Parts: sequence; C-alpha cells; structure tokens
Amino acid sequence: MPFAQPRWLMYIMRMFIAEPMMSETLKINTREATLAGESTPWAQLRFTRNNHGKPQIGLDPENLYAFGHLIRLTEQLILEQFSRGLVSGTTHTCLGQELTAISVIRALDHPEDAVLSNHRNHGHFLAYSGDFAGLVAEIMGREAGVCGGWGGSQHLAYRHFHSNGVQGGMMGIGAGLALARKLRGSGGIVAAIIGDGTLGQGLLYEAMNLASVWKAPLLVVVENNGIAQTTDSRDTLGGGIEARGAAFGLHTWRFADDDPGFCRKVAAAVSEMRESRRPGFLVLDTRRMGPHSKGDDLRGQDELDTIRERDPLAALARQLPSATCETIEANNRAFVESVRLTANASPEATLDETPAHIFTLHVEQPLPGYPVMAAGSTVRQSLNSALRHLLETDSRTLLIGEDLHDPYGGAFKVTQGLSTGFPGRVISTPISEAGITGATIGLSLDGYLPVMEVMFADFLSLCMDQLFNHAVKFPGMFRDVAVPLVIRTPCGGRRGYGPTHSQSPEHLFTAVPGLTVVYGSHRHNLGELLTDAVLRWRYPVLFLEHKLLYGEKIDPADYLTLPAADDDVAAHLFPTLLRGATDPDVTLVSYGGMLAVAEAAARRLEDEEELAVEIVAPSLLSPLPRGSMIRHLAMRSRVVIVEESHHEFGVSAEIAAAMLESGFKGQLLRIGTPPIPIASARSLERSILPDEQSVVEQVLELF
Amino acid sequence: MASPQTVPCVNINDEFVQIVSLNVKQGDFVKNGDVVGTVETDKSLIDVAVEQDGYVLRIDCAPEQKARVGSVMFWLGAAADEPVPEVISTDAEARNAAGRPTAKARAMLKELNLDPARIPASGERLTAADIEDWLARTGKTGPAAALPSPSTRTEDSPTVSGELLELSAEAAGMLHTVTWHRDHAAAAYLELEYDPKPWEELAAHYATQQKLMLSPLLPLMAFRLAALARERTLINSTIVNARRFQYRPVNLGFTVQVGEMLYLTVVRETQDMDAGQFIAALGEVQRHAMAHKLPPQEASGATLSFSSMARWNVSRHIPILPPQTSLIVAHAAPKTSGKAVLGATYDHRVLTGFDVTQVLLALSRPLIPGMTGTYHPESTY
Ligand SMILES: Cc1ncc(C[n+]2csc(CCOP(=O)(O)OP(=O)(O)O)c2C)c(N)n1
Ligand SMILES: [Mg+2]
Repeated sequence: MPFAQPRWLMYIMRMFIAEPMMSETLKINTREATLAGESTPWAQLRFTRNNHGKPQIGLDPENLYAFGHLIRLTEQLILEQFSRGLVSGTTHTCLGQELTAISVIRALDHPEDAVLSNHRNHGHFLAYSGDFAGLVAEIMGREAGVCGGWGGSQHLAYRHFHSNGVQGGMMGIGAGLALARKLRGSGGIVAAIIGDGTLGQGLLYEAMNLASVWKAPLLVVVENNGIAQTTDSRDTLGGGIEARGAAFGLHTWRFADDDPGFCRKVAAAVSEMRESRRPGFLVLDTRRMGPHSKGDDLRGQDELDTIRERDPLAALARQLPSATCETIEANNRAFVESVRLTANASPEATLDETPAHIFTLHVEQPLPGYPVMAAGSTVRQSLNSALRHLLETDSRTLLIGEDLHDPYGGAFKVTQGLSTGFPGRVISTPISEAGITGATIGLSLDGYLPVMEVMFADFLSLCMDQLFNHAVKFPGMFRDVAVPLVIRTPCGGRRGYGPTHSQSPEHLFTAVPGLTVVYGSHRHNLGELLTDAVLRWRYPVLFLEHKLLYGEKIDPADYLTLPAADDDVAAHLFPTLLRGATDPDVTLVSYGGMLAVAEAAARRLEDEEELAVEIVAPSLLSPLPRGSMIRHLAMRSRVVIVEESHHEFGVSAEIAAAMLESGFKGQLLRIGTPPIPIASARSLERSILPDEQSVVEQVLELF
Repeated sequence: MASPQTVPCVNINDEFVQIVSLNVKQGDFVKNGDVVGTVETDKSLIDVAVEQDGYVLRIDCAPEQKARVGSVMFWLGAAADEPVPEVISTDAEARNAAGRPTAKARAMLKELNLDPARIPASGERLTAADIEDWLARTGKTGPAAALPSPSTRTEDSPTVSGELLELSAEAAGMLHTVTWHRDHAAAAYLELEYDPKPWEELAAHYATQQKLMLSPLLPLMAFRLAALARERTLINSTIVNARRFQYRPVNLGFTVQVGEMLYLTVVRETQDMDAGQFIAALGEVQRHAMAHKLPPQEASGATLSFSSMARWNVSRHIPILPPQTSLIVAHAAPKTSGKAVLGATYDHRVLTGFDVTQVLLALSRPLIPGMTGTYHPESTY
C-alpha cells in the first residue's frame, strides 16, 4: 500500500520522530534545498537559511519587512489560486498578522524548538521551513506539496512543526513535547500557537496546568485578533486574557504588533522563557486584515479601513527608503512568481493504490525479552510484572496517569511498587484525561514509549479527540511516523459502580480508523500482550482490561491459538484463542471479561443441552483479524457473539458483517448490553448486563 | 433472629477475596470483636472480626475458597438452635428446562423435520440419542452431521439404462448400519472355539425345568451376554464426537432371519429382567418379526448384540456392527465338528481384543445369571 509521498518528506518525518532530540547534526533536507535553490530564485532574496532550511530573519526593519511582505504575497497568491479554480477545500491566510507570525518563529533558534500551529498557519510554516513552493503545492494538492497532498492548508508538518485543524486540539501534545524536552535536558522549547477564539477551548487549560505542574517549557502564544471566524471576542471572552496565564502560574507577556519594538520584545520574552525552562503565556495583539477564510468577512468597511491604517507591515515599509522597498518588493514578486510556476508544474498527488489501512505490514521489530511470570500469577500481577520489566529494560518507557504513585499504586493497583522502583518515570497526573492523552502523544512523537492509564474506561470519551483527530493521524498521513503509545484502562460492570464507571466502550474506539484495540482476558498471556503492544507495535494501542479479571489467575486452560493469516494486521501479536468442539453445534465468540461468562454458559450448554460448543476468544478487536478469525467463523453454522459492551453498532455488528462478507451462511446472534445506562444497584445491574443465565437462554432460542 | 456475618472488603476494587482461615465451627459462641479468621486478595490480608455476640448457626464458606465480598460467611443467632433464613436461588427455576427436548435434540428435530411427539424419550428430556435410536429403528436417515461424509457424497447414476427405486425401511436401515460400520467404527474381529456340550446340557436342563418347548440355548446365551454388560459396562457404550457414550439401559439386539429378511430385534431394558422374563420378551419380539410386524422400539436402540448362525451350519460369520454399538457376538456351531465358535465384531475405539476375549471366555462357560441352587453347571464336570 504505497503512499504517494515524496521520499524527502519521509526523510524529514523520520528525523522528526526517530532522532528528534539529538538533532544537532541534522542534515539539511537536500531535495527541498535543491527545489528551493533551483526552481525558485532564493538567491534574489536577502535571507540565508540554516542547515534545517529555516530562514534567518534579522530584527532590523528591512529584514522584517522583506519577510513579512513575502508572506503577504504568498497568501495573496494562494487566494488567487483559489479564484483561478486551482485550489479546492479551504484556507486561512494571515494577512495583516504576518509580523505576529514572524516575531515568535524567528526567535525559535534552537534546533529542537517545536511549533504547534493552527488553521492560520502559513506565516508560521514559512518562517519555520522556508518552503514556499512546498506550501503552495500542498494547498493545491500537488505531488510537490510538503505533505504530499495529505495535509492541505491546515495540516502541515516539517521537522518539529505540526499544524492541525482542531482548535486547541494539540495543546496536550505540546505539553508532552515540552515534557520530553525537559526529561532529556534539551534546550529546546515548544511554541503552541492559538487564536483568541480558542481561549474558549478546555484542553488549553488542561495543557497549561500540566506544563505548569511539570515545569515544562511550553510557550502558549495567543494571536489576539479580536475575532473568531465571524464572532467578536466581546461575545466569546469572559475575564482577562493575561489573567488566564497568570492563574496557572505561567510567566505572562503581552505585546501589540503595531508597537515599533514588537519583534524585539517578543524575542526577549522567548529567550527569557527559554532561560527559565518554565512554561510561558505570550499574548500578541494583532488584527486580521483579510477574511476568516475566503470571502467570509462580515465586518463593516469602517472597521476594515481602521485595520488597514493600522497595518504594522505598512508601518515598517514607511521606515525604509522607498528604493529599498521597491527592490524588496520586486525581488519578492519574482520569487513568488517562480513559486507559482513550480507549484503549477507539479502533477496532482496520486496514490498507486488506495491504502486499506494505515499499517505497514510485517515491519518486524526485534523480539523483546518478556517478563518472567511467577506460576499462578493473576492478571494484575502479570500486568504489573510487564510494566516493571519494561521500565527496567527500556529507558524510553514512561507510565503516566492518575494516582499511579505508591503506596496507592493506581485505582486497581496495577502500577503498585513502580513509582518507588522507578522514580521520575511513573507520572501521577492531574485529572486531565484529554490533556494527558495529548501529552502521551507528544512523548511518543519524541521517541518515548509512554504507557498511559485511564482510571475507568468510561472516561475514555474524554480522550476521544486526541485519539480520533491526532494520534492516528500522524502514522496515517506519514508512513514513517511512529506513535508507539499504549493506553490501558479497566472496563466493565458487575461491581455496582453505576452508569459512568461500568461501561465497556470498545465499540466507540474500534471505530477510530487506525487505532489498534486490544482486549485480552485471563486466557491470554497478558504480560506478553502488553509488552508487545509497547515494544513491537509502533501505532497507538488501546489496551482494555476488565475489572473482574484483575484477581483471576492467568490460565490458558484448553485454549489453542488460531494461527494469524498473512493478511491479518497485528494478529501475530494479539492472538485469537479457541477451544472446544471441532464440529460445533454452536460457536460462542467472546472477549475480555465477558469470556468468563461465555465459558460458564458453554459448560451448561454442553452438560445440560448436549451441545458441542466452541469458544473463540480474540484479543485483537481492531483491526479485525479477518484472515484468521473471521474466515474461521464464516464456516460455522451457528455463531453467537457475546459482549459486555452496549452492542448496537458495536464490535459484534462488525464481526457479523465481516462474516457475511466472508460467505457465512449460518444462524447468528448477538448478545450484549441494551442501549440503556448500567444501573448502580447490583440487582438492576444483573438484569441489564448479560450473564450466564441470559446467555444460555438466548443461545437456546436458536434451537 | 439469625443475622449474617458477611465477607469483608479488603480493597475497594477487589470483588472477590480468598478465605485464608476460619476458626469457628457450628455451635461455637463468639463475642463481638473476636477475630475468627482471615481473608486476602493478592494485595493484602485482613482479619475477620465478629460483629456481634452469638452462636454460630451455620457456616457458608470454607478456607481456600474464593468468596464474593458481601456474601455470607456464617450465620449468628442468640440461641444455638435458631433457624437460618432460606435463600431462594434466583436462577433455580430458570435452570429448570424440564420436559423440553435438549437443544441438541431440538436441532436434530428441526433439521430432520420430525415431530417430537412421535419419538419416545428415554429420560426426563428427549435427547439426541433418543432421536438416533428412533431413526435407526424406523430406518430413517439421521442428521447430515451424523452421517459420514462419503455417504452424503452424490454418486453418478450408472450409464447403463435403468430406474431408481426407493429402498424399503429395512433396506435403508441396513444401509445406515453398514455405512456406520464402514465410516465410524474401527471394526475388528476375533473368535474362540469352545466345547458346546455344557451349554447345551444347561439349556436342556432349564427347558425341562421350565417346561419349554423350544431350546432356550441361544436366548440363554444372549441373556448371559446382557448380564455381562452390567459388570463390563464398556461393552455397552459407544463413541460420540470423540467422547465415550455410556448407555444406561442394556438393550440387547438379537438377529432374526425371517425368509429373506434379516432383522435385528431388540429387547429393551434387559438389566431389570431375570432369565424367564428375558426368554419370554425375546419370544414375543421374535413372533413380531416372524409376522413382519416389529414395532419401532423392537427394531432399534440396540446397545449390544448377539447373532447366531448355528442354524445355517456355517463355520464362521463376521457380523456388521449395529450403529453406535461396540460389540456384536457371533455364534456358530457347525454340526459335524463337535466344536462351537464364539466370535465378536467390536469397535476398537472402545474395546481391545483383550476386553473382548474376556467377554467371550466368560460367555463360553454356561451360567444362567440369577439362578443358583437349581443347577450348577460346573457340577457336571
Ligand atoms: C474545535 C474546532 N471548533 C471549530 C472550528 C472551526 N473554526 C476554525 S477557525 C475558527 C475560529 C478560530 O478563532 P481564533 O482562535 O480566534 O483564531 P483566528 O481565526 O482568529 O486566527 C473556528 C470556529 C475548528 N476548526 N475547530
Ligand atoms: Mg481570533
């Protein structure tokens, strides 16, 4: 499944990921340098670029004007390409805000400085990468685009630069990237840039708090243009902006881009923040001169005139002799015209074959050592030993989650003893599920192997955006980017914990394209499964555990492993087990905590009803092992899928559909929890969740 | 009123604890605060302290056992003889599937489109075996799954012209028998010679005593075989889906040739009969066979069989195993030789040659089970 993606991009991405922090010796990306050098007359411009391609922009008015004007011309070109019908989709230009973009990015002079930007990212991107043709071609969906056409205007990636279209969605990632820099003792910082409208986004505050608690170098930059899309900030902002930074103990600065000393002041703030190794909050007052996107400006002419008069770029030009201005502008125009020609000349991005999934098959990771399990270990002990083993043998491993520290050791005691044994590597966090998920992504992007714990699986919904819009997008868009993170969490009911502490939400997450969902049981070697999820699978994994199984002994009983098929993804790591009749009257498919219930039901069906019962117990729910498990089930005559989850639109539905697609002709039944809350009272809970008796009764209806 | 002492919670997130020790017994008097045991999870161990004074009325758990937090450990009462409240199991009634055919049986009924009312159940519920018995008896084909695949394979019609005729019920039954023998049983055969005299004498003596007109030799030998099955239960069993199926009744199959028709007649429930009852029952069945009027229960459900070809003067015959049985004894007594032969076709999946030899040796020695005192065969030698 090859991605149509320029090889040089993969090279960049690999640098971003594989050796992100040790990058003093990063080589210049040669293909891009040639492209810029040959096809676009960089020589005419007065900027040099450092060995990462980053333009070196001085603080003098001439330098600032030249680069600001270059950004403005490029934005205008992009809008023109739209009006010529050469671009589809959307774009957000930074017209009027060019100096704001330049001020922060130009000050990021450490090779490990990272930038997380947003929808209005072109100025940030150009100041960071110097790749003008790459940007324009990307927005046009051309092969020469910096992300091969996967990203478009809003999703750009270049070395430690990432932007994304979810407002504030990357703030947690920023906290994680900053923590990674702190843990490694790097001098780099992370600038996470948002608009003032995004001050309404909750994740921002989780991230600011995390960075504050962790004393991690995250600089939150607010580009305060007084408007969000079409809404005036009067209607979106309660309280003061700087007060927000101060409330979290962040060093806070505020500057306006029409202040003649603006860029110098920002540079001083950035270097002060860098020196402090603490998080900061930088508010930049600016005005948006153009529309939010394209042709969607509802503001009155008076207001637009005021903004135009205030234009800080024009103010800079006025400081320069007119001949200087004219030379700069002529050079810039010639340069941008060459950018246009280069982008136009690049063919449309294409795929040789549409990928069936995001995974690279058969990338064999070296076989890790596995923890030695004492005979008779329980599920809890097995998971604990695996985590201990990972911490002992791989310095990249970090545990992160709420209340993980000793003597408490996590709500279900899975991490007990580990914070004592591995100081600094078991991180107990604030109650910020989305924030720590983002941080986990950031840590994994920077080469760590974070294992995050969510106290109850019900809270995974708070992590959804981070998984759905972020974790899976990196490896999805960029084949070479690994996001080797594992999120562990206890699922399930039968404890009387009630509606928000008893659910099995696997079905919500198996639906996330590219997320690997593992839900093992005491019949699996859970310690090995977890070790493999951490060390041998480079993609985000949701690792589900059932509360009732923690005290169960790991015991494979009479289960055999169904061999993984060649076209299965990850089934060799997370196997499907089966036991019982080879010519069954009925096959029960079950996993996680429900497996124990299915086994009890199977015993009764065998003993009381003379039925030959087979049990199929997958540990991998997504990607579904179609080549092995589904092919096996498709040949059966009666299949009953038993799950604890709210099963409508769920895992069982997907299994059933896949079976039909594989030629299943028999009878099928799904058993799960009806779409109602799981009540607290044990008596109510009993009648809501499928149990041995209800499984037996429903199976018997097939006969 | 009796009050329960419940299993304490060790850790809020552990649903089950292990009972490590419990140092009280029924009738003991305990005082509030007494430590009477310990429970643990894999995390920690805690003492169980009694919560009120009282006599231990009943203990509902045992050391080494896993117990659910909140379930009853033991009951306490003010007097040692207070009653403990009855707990009604919630799923007891649901478990009671009384009367309904088993699910396996229902699947077969559905697949074969059979009316369960027509099929007698051997126990409380109609089972798969009941249906198979009935099928064999009525000569119908069993469920596809029970049929060996080669027999379901379609054969090409011969190229020479002709017509396809339906088999009679008996012929279909024979086809089923032969197919089962070929595809399921691991059939083996062995035989031993024995001196027929003592058995003949015993039979003659019995006939005189009981004033019988026909020689009871073969019925007596068959009855002896049925009796042997009570001690050697293996010969009254078969293999079903790689597990041994032990028959409860001993239903004795006995071949009867009537004209061109060979019947395997069956005397059911022989285990409760004495020799006289067996001979009478077999006589009745044989009469039905002679008239070609065997009811289904007399033509199916054999669990063990006996077949004699003494009448035909053959020196050896190797019978086919009736479906889902593991032994058929073949008797031959060529008149001229003065010797007789007891042979056996057996399913090697169930029985070894040694097992079968033991049975044949026992059977070769004349004995009428349940009859002592009147005649002792050994006394003639
Ligand atoms: C989570 C989310 N909600 C809504 C949007 C749609 N949207 C894109 S930009 C934008 C306005 C953002 O305003 P602000 O943060 O002030 O940035 P500005 O556009 O002013 O630079 C909105 C609502 C989005 N991209 N993401
Ligand atoms: Mg704004």
